[in-house]
Amino acid sequence: MIIGIAGAGGDGVISAGESLITAAALEGYHGIMTKSFGSQIRGGEASCRLRLATQPVLNPNGPLDVAVVLNWEDFRRFGWELPVESATIVIYESNTGVAPDNLPLEGVTPTVVFSVPITAMAEKYAGTDKAKNIVVIGLLAGWFGIGRESMLEGIRKKFARKGAAVVEGNARAFQAGLEFAQAHPLEEDRKLTAPQSGREAKLLTDGNDMCAAAAIFAGCTFFAGYPITPSTEIMQFLDREIWKYGGTVLQAEDEIAGIGAVVGASFAGKKALTATSGPGMSLKTEMLGLASIAELPLVCVNVQRGGPSTGMPTKAEQSDLFQAAFSAHGDCLRPVLAPTSVGDMFGIIVEAFNLAEYYQTPVIVLSDQEISQRKEIVEPIDTSAFRVVERRRPTEAELAKYARFKLTESGISPISHPGMAGGNYLASGIEHNELGRPTASGEMHARMNEKRFRKFSPLQNRRDLFVVEGDPDAPIGLVSWGSVAGVAKEALRLARAEGLHAKLLVPKLLYPVAEQVYQDFFASVSRGLFIEQSFQGQLYRLVRMYVDLPALVKPFAKSGSNPIQPAEVLERLRKMVVALQGNRNHRQPDPVAD
Amino acid sequence: MTTLEPIPAGKFQAGDFKSDLKPIWCPGCGDFGVVTAITRALAAIGRPPHEIAFISGIGCSSRIPGYTNAYGFNTVHGRSLPIAQGIKLANPELLVLVASGDGDGFSIGGGHVPHVIRRNIDLTYIVMDNQIYGLTKGQLSPTSRRGRKTVSSSFGSLEEPVNPLLYVMGYGASFVAQGTPADMAGLARIIEEGIRFPGFAFINVQSPCVTYGDEEQQLKAQKTRMQSLESIGHDPTDPAKAIERAREYVTKLYTGILYRNPNPPPTYGQGVTERQEFLKKQAVPRHKILNRFMPDIPI
Repeated sequence: MIIGIAGAGGDGVISAGESLITAAALEGYHGIMTKSFGSQIRGGEASCRLRLATQPVLNPNGPLDVAVVLNWEDFRRFGWELPVESATIVIYESNTGVAPDNLPLEGVTPTVVFSVPITAMAEKYAGTDKAKNIVVIGLLAGWFGIGRESMLEGIRKKFARKGAAVVEGNARAFQAGLEFAQAHPLEEDRKLTAPQSGREAKLLTDGNDMCAAAAIFAGCTFFAGYPITPSTEIMQFLDREIWKYGGTVLQAEDEIAGIGAVVGASFAGKKALTATSGPGMSLKTEMLGLASIAELPLVCVNVQRGGPSTGMPTKAEQSDLFQAAFSAHGDCLRPVLAPTSVGDMFGIIVEAFNLAEYYQTPVIVLSDQEISQRKEIVEPIDTSAFRVVERRRPTEAELAKYARFKLTESGISPISHPGMAGGNYLASGIEHNELGRPTASGEMHARMNEKRFRKFSPLQNRRDLFVVEGDPDAPIGLVSWGSVAGVAKEALRLARAEGLHAKLLVPKLLYPVAEQVYQDFFASVSRGLFIEQSFQGQLYRLVRMYVDLPALVKPFAKSGSNPIQPAEVLERLRKMVVALQGNRNHRQPDPVAD
Repeated sequence: MTTLEPIPAGKFQAGDFKSDLKPIWCPGCGDFGVVTAITRALAAIGRPPHEIAFISGIGCSSRIPGYTNAYGFNTVHGRSLPIAQGIKLANPELLVLVASGDGDGFSIGGGHVPHVIRRNIDLTYIVMDNQIYGLTKGQLSPTSRRGRKTVSSSFGSLEEPVNPLLYVMGYGASFVAQGTPADMAGLARIIEEGIRFPGFAFINVQSPCVTYGDEEQQLKAQKTRMQSLESIGHDPTDPAKAIERAREYVTKLYTGILYRNPNPPPTYGQGVTERQEFLKKQAVPRHKILNRFMPDIPI
């Protein structure tokens, strides 16, 4: 079930959504909630979408089952984010003066429409229009059953310190919404059945908070960064928490100083993190090059938004992959990871720190605005299943004749840090010999470059950083990454339910390109799609630098802020099946040769 | 440095802090004297080389960490201060020195200076100011005087120079000094005092460029120009007087401590340590950090 709520700032749209998803989490549902705002800092329009189910929810997308309209003008501003169909149940505020049979929607006439005096009910029962969100929650509990059990208890706890009168007023407002719904029953019962099993504690959080918590779990004790939408909450969470673990947060004077301090902290022996978005990433690239040649571990999270430049700061896009892979100048390789959901963020951040420490390298994590800010009900995570890796420090014997950049077989050289007796060395952005001394020797530069690439060769075999789903020998293959992977996964499941023969590859390690993994996946494939939220389809193009893809594997790419719908991917899959059959029967030319 | 133990006399010699790497500098470069002064100061301080982190940016002067025996980090142009801050905050026990030049420190990296000052991070910032870009062969620097003709200002500079002393005084630096390798003993002493100062210490070193520098900037000329602040009865605790003398940066060559705040603000590191101590009781074990995401009440 997908519920969309929109209104003016102060209508309580977001708090209604958060109450609903919290109740859903407590009652054992799966769900995702996304929020969307106008560009104003306060006030302006606000909306949220909640997708709830008894099965795992793979993405927040799709047309609305229920639309709650507190203000038509604001609702219409979110047009394509809150798509209404004729089957959508529309609940709207009566005082908007709109007639139920003449809704201001273009090209669609919903059949089930309720005009509800939401503000009047809030004022009547709670004595204030601030209780509109409570009335809305009551209505939704009445019609769809979410939070019937827990909301009243929540109201009691939340308003307890405001006194009995406020508690009772809000409880009455909730009850009034509930009763309104009961007095106007739906023809068809649409109540969600609360899951019987799986009601044990689920988690509820967003990608930025999960990222920060995972960093603490991984042993990060240093963060420096600069506020930038949509990544700032990572710094804010760590500022509340990291001190407790002997760590430090520095709000730097700019993006360069942010990553600079992180490079310094890593040189001093600490696990360190910075987080930013596209424009900040552009500024950080020189430091990424420095950390690569000085072989210093660090994790840099880029919460992608629409670009280039200021672009679309509050909208998701996957257009920073090229930048992540090829950020700084010079011959260099930095691993790039991408989580596919809030739940997945935990393991990806731990992995990022592990790779950074093990390979002594910057690691870039590509999150995106959707994952970072969507609230997701997450299955409990068993943290004991995650390994935490520390950098390889020199032994006593190695310190006796210490060479910081020793040309070892693996390419990984033991790393000391200030304070460690006998480990003194010169770190530098200048090319150096094994001892760390500056060199202009072409031979040494070639050997060091070779070492700095060779050390990453085990990454080609990290199949655990790829998910394959579907029929192994399917002729149709999908590839998708980041938050969009959830859309591809849903499309695949819909397709397979129709009997279509297809499979999906989700890389979480985007760079270096694990060539054999793609070759194996595409061995059975003659047609396919790279499903990506960018104009160019950057993963498609990146993979093609390393792997010869079948000619009829193409990008299905859309610019950010145009959510890809599972239904449209399914439609493309159907066409591909028809084309495959057509080719097999030698009947007609390929209808989708694009 | 707030954490220094009393010095066991003679524990280290200046030579213990010299590396065996041969400098790339031109013969007669002022920076040779700066290395010597730094190593003498470090010997006087008495911390072992492995407890010292020496950070620099890019430029002739920024080669210095390679010529000293400590943990060194020769970073990128203009960013030595952010990196040094990360090191100091990550390990407050370290003695952190930063070397820079006039271009590295007041042109490309000038934006970082106000912030390290207002945070009062306990490190010593030594800028080798030669009023020219030497490594790139003789272009204008931010401290070049108006009218100066260089390969990038064929008809003379149209800009007023940055005044490094006034710049840092303006942002509230608590320790400001100037020296020159023409007075080696004096230079070593102010570097030592800067290291001992509990907080951010700024030392401008008039280190001449033998290849592209003006005649009047060379050591020989400096020896006749320089004037010790002590000898003229300067009171380093008087900020108004310090600013007055800082304004004479272009015309006078003062040496010694221009300003030392008798009541310096707490260092950033002190605040960090206190906060960590205060909050550590609240830490849940790392492996239970996700418990905080368990949903509570729905409203």
